[in-house]
Amino acid sequence: MARVHNWQLGREMDFPYEARRPDRQFAMIFDTNKCISCQTCTVACKTTWTSGRGQEYMYWNNVETKPYGYYPLGWDVHILDRLGVQPLDGPVYQGKTLFDAAPTGEIILGYLPEDIDYAHPNIGEDDCTGLMPQGAHLSMPHMQWMFYLPRICNHCTYPACLSACPRQSIYKRKEDGIVLLDQSRCRGYRECARACPYKKVYFNAQTRVSEKCIGCYPAVEGGRQTQCTTSCIGKIRIQGFLGAPDAPDPDNPLDYLVFVRRVALPLYPQFGLEPNTYYIPPVHVPPPYLRQMFGGGAEQAIATYRAAREDRKLLGALLLFGATPEISHFFRVDGDQVIGYDAKQAEIVRVPLHEPPAVRELYDVKHRAYRTNIT
Amino acid sequence: MMRLAVLVLAALLAAASPAAAQAPLTAVRVPGSGPIVDPGAGVWRAARGVTVPMLPQTVTAPQKPEPAVNTLTVRAVHNGGWIGFLVEWRDPTLSTRIVVDTFGDQVAIQLPVDVTGPTPSPMMGNPGGRVNIMQWRAAFQHDIDYGPPSVKDLYPNAWTDYYPDEVLSATDARPYTGALGVENPISRGRASPVLDQMAEGWGSMTVKPDQHALGTGVWKEGVWRVVITRPMVSDDPNAPRLTPGVKTVVGFAVWEGGNQEVGSRKAWSPWVPLVVGAAAPARPAGATPPTGATGQPAGGRR
Repeated sequence: MARVHNWQLGREMDFPYEARRPDRQFAMIFDTNKCISCQTCTVACKTTWTSGRGQEYMYWNNVETKPYGYYPLGWDVHILDRLGVQPLDGPVYQGKTLFDAAPTGEIILGYLPEDIDYAHPNIGEDDCTGLMPQGAHLSMPHMQWMFYLPRICNHCTYPACLSACPRQSIYKRKEDGIVLLDQSRCRGYRECARACPYKKVYFNAQTRVSEKCIGCYPAVEGGRQTQCTTSCIGKIRIQGFLGAPDAPDPDNPLDYLVFVRRVALPLYPQFGLEPNTYYIPPVHVPPPYLRQMFGGGAEQAIATYRAAREDRKLLGALLLFGATPEISHFFRVDGDQVIGYDAKQAEIVRVPLHEPPAVRELYDVKHRAYRTNIT
Repeated sequence: MMRLAVLVLAALLAAASPAAAQAPLTAVRVPGSGPIVDPGAGVWRAARGVTVPMLPQTVTAPQKPEPAVNTLTVRAVHNGGWIGFLVEWRDPTLSTRIVVDTFGDQVAIQLPVDVTGPTPSPMMGNPGGRVNIMQWRAAFQHDIDYGPPSVKDLYPNAWTDYYPDEVLSATDARPYTGALGVENPISRGRASPVLDQMAEGWGSMTVKPDQHALGTGVWKEGVWRVVITRPMVSDDPNAPRLTPGVKTVVGFAVWEGGNQEVGSRKAWSPWVPLVVGAAAPARPAGATPPTGATGQPAGGRR
């Protein structure tokens, strides 16, 4: 085992390979407060990549309802239960990672889901934590709650799948950090499916080898964001690149939101994989649950997010979500607009920070009809 | 860590030399020509069965500390052109259906590519010590006997509106075929249930471009009887030259799919001395015919 630095844990940790960060890291940010679980992303991914034989059950992108939705069934509670209760307080994680907790003869703590665990892709949809009793009222956080969690492969800095593959069939690209599974080298051992705590590697029973999210690399190589990002009707996502954790570029929207403002947080950072999809936590969910899922910075992230209206640069970065199919490498707030730039500093999008109010007259003269409020 | 390294080294050194107590396996010369693929053929009566103890693979991760198969019974014959190995083991669960959480039964035979040079590591060889590994898979055998399973075979209640290969040209549909589209040799559609491979240490297993190994496996009454055969001499530089009179070593690995054994989660044997017989000897005293052997081709194949 090599010693590597995991910035999300604030400490060194064991990993089977030497640290070798990519030139830039593929990353995605989800604003969970805006997701309505319409599954447009899921369908966009499915029709683009996984409509072949043996891929029927594969959802490289899925959206599940938390806390009772899972795909595959119970993926996070199963591995959390195996890892056991860990201390989550403080800026430095003192608990065990999945590599620390590996049983004798294993590289990492994991488990292989059962076939039937994949039988219900949207189980738990819209299930709330409980019933609203007599006298219940709206409060923050909510008395009963649920929220939507969109998920893709995290293209981790320290991927469990990569570390567990006995054949080095999985590799992390130097140019963008996308984690790929070599379809000609894999022999279907499913060590990756067993090891990935997020269960984002899928076994194809027709080809007898495993498959996973490819980060839409053909699009990304052309400067465009992933299918799941560009198809999102709620504009909850932005996909781009993270720079070095110790030298963030405040003009890169992802660096700014993740490293500088820490408003977007990794999913289950305590696993130790340094996952690279990040979540703006839901504002209405009780902090203990959020701390378990997104780490100790959840409450501060929510406070920062709620103040975005008065924070022009933060607001500008957030308004780049869903604003353009191209990857925004840089951004700048100019007057009442945020401008996104491509890798060559060329302007690709301009978004107003404040949408001017539009008032429609009650009577539509052209159509000789009264406008009614359909809601 | 040092203690572990010493233990591993000791284990490797011990395994690298054929165990003194291990009876050698002699490939007996038998009449005939061509591949020896029938586990029920009478030729196996000429060969003495050798019991090979199988050990859990515990040197590299991941591991299966308690593999299901403890011993193999192995016979070897050759007809001057092909050498065949008959491997038998008890396996109460037939494992040929491969889905997310199920694994197939497999057995492999390992030979040094250079039968005259230093003996390679028994653990899939070592850099410079190349081995030829011929691996039979029950799933391949099932494909050959019954046809590769469709999605409906694996999941009878599955329903799909249409697949890309039904509405697109073969070229356009190819990206949706995954490993099949890049002709991954372990996927399906094989003519032989045996993969002809080479390796120089774990993690380096490579399916050879030229496939020479053939075989047949039959599961009956809780026993697998698998034949693996290959030409004794070929123009393949990554194949051993097993001419009559050669003395070398052979190793085995077995996977019980029903026990979730796959990859390095397996049982393996140290090297077993192998002698390629020069002429057909008289039937050895005390030799017993293999289980169920009738001299006739096997029937009731599953």
